[in-house]
Amino acid sequence: MKRTLAAATAAALLAASFPAPALDIGGLINKAIDTGSKLKEANRDFSQDEEVQLGDNIAATLLGGWPLSKDANLQRYVNRVGRWVALQSERPDLPWTFGVIDAQTVNAFAMPGGTVLVSRGLIDKLGNESELAGALAHEIAHVVLKHQLSAIRSSANADVWASVGQQAAGERIARTGGGYIAHVGEGALANLAIDSVKNGVFLRPLDRSMEYQADRMGVILATRAGYDPYGLAGVLEVLGTMQGDGSGIDIMETHPAPSDRLAELEKLMPAVEGYANQPRLEGRFLQVVGRK
Amino acid sequence: MGMLRFLLALLVLVLPVAALAQDQAFTNRDTELKQRADAGSGTVASLRADTAVKVLARAGAWTQVQAEGKTGFVRVFHLRFPATVEGSSSSSSSSGSNPFAALGGLIGGNKPDERAKLASTGVRGLSKEDVKNANPDAQALAKMQSYRAGKPEAQRFAREGKLAEKRVDDPEAKAGR
Repeated sequence: MKRTLAAATAAALLAASFPAPALDIGGLINKAIDTGSKLKEANRDFSQDEEVQLGDNIAATLLGGWPLSKDANLQRYVNRVGRWVALQSERPDLPWTFGVIDAQTVNAFAMPGGTVLVSRGLIDKLGNESELAGALAHEIAHVVLKHQLSAIRSSANADVWASVGQQAAGERIARTGGGYIAHVGEGALANLAIDSVKNGVFLRPLDRSMEYQADRMGVILATRAGYDPYGLAGVLEVLGTMQGDGSGIDIMETHPAPSDRLAELEKLMPAVEGYANQPRLEGRFLQVVGRK
Repeated sequence: MGMLRFLLALLVLVLPVAALAQDQAFTNRDTELKQRADAGSGTVASLRADTAVKVLARAGAWTQVQAEGKTGFVRVFHLRFPATVEGSSSSSSSSGSNPFAALGGLIGGNKPDERAKLASTGVRGLSKEDVKNANPDAQALAKMQSYRAGKPEAQRFAREGKLAEKRVDDPEAKAGR
């Protein structure tokens, strides 16, 4: 970036001192500025709107291959638990959306902007609502901390990423003119979404440190929501006694070992130990999932 | 007959191992087996670190286990779990496009009985291949979003469950509020 700027400055100085250049200095300057703005776009922050649109596009892409559960009662229930927990975060007003995927593989996925997918296989392993809240709280923490966004950013094709910024600039103009913003399946954000699912970044493990951080914040959020703080520990215990399904994307293959996560989480627990008698809501959970 | 005896012997050898793997854990430090899920309750037994226990039930901070022939409760953080990742990154359980995928899964260590279970429920596992070339499904997205819960709905739901909001500071001060 600095070097590009320096080059542009040098080129500008050269252009000023030689009125009739043999080289296309103007073209070089434009090229340098173009590269500079691409880099600038690559490093800027996403607006909340863009984050939501990117997440919607990733969700739509995943739903193109993975079936949404037809159990409307379960879908509404998971949304209520999830929204209640998300209301305890510093981003309570995102368009939080929780979807249950009809698959045996055990995992959950958070998308930028507040969409969380959780597999039916994971729900079937859980024993009460505080465990579901713990699992969702972990994903909510990833969204709040923008972990997926930074993973996508660090591995996205530079041109695809830059085009998002260029289009955003265009859309801001369009919006002031009352134009409608393309949403799902169209435009640079859709390309970025498809790119990040295709190149696998979205399905690859995050840094271990991000997972531990999401575990800690998840416990805080679930405790604030009034649940037994040990819900997430219960989920990790379940995972500790299961086996991966070899799909490459089940939770055992995309997350640190449950025992390592429990060991990290133990350090936080003194801060929430006083809330250990909060409800776990086993009856309500078992009823909705059809085990009672 | 000889073959049958061999198979039976194999079963005897294999079954207990599989049963153990499902619910086995170990103590990760010296700890106490308590009568109830309560630190103030009586001690059933003192367990040394690395004692094998059988997990019976989860109860929040406590886990009901069987250890050294006795049943009681151990703190969840005093246990470590032998979670295993079977198989590699093959997408054996779901990708219909690769006839060798199932074989790859077997070689990778996926247990055939797990596979059979998946097949019998009719619900598939997830695979990367299913989404890598998927077309965005705007209709499914809209369907999912139709289940969203608004703030008042979430608050009502919490009241019904007697969930009371608490002010809990985040030690990392990143959860906000």
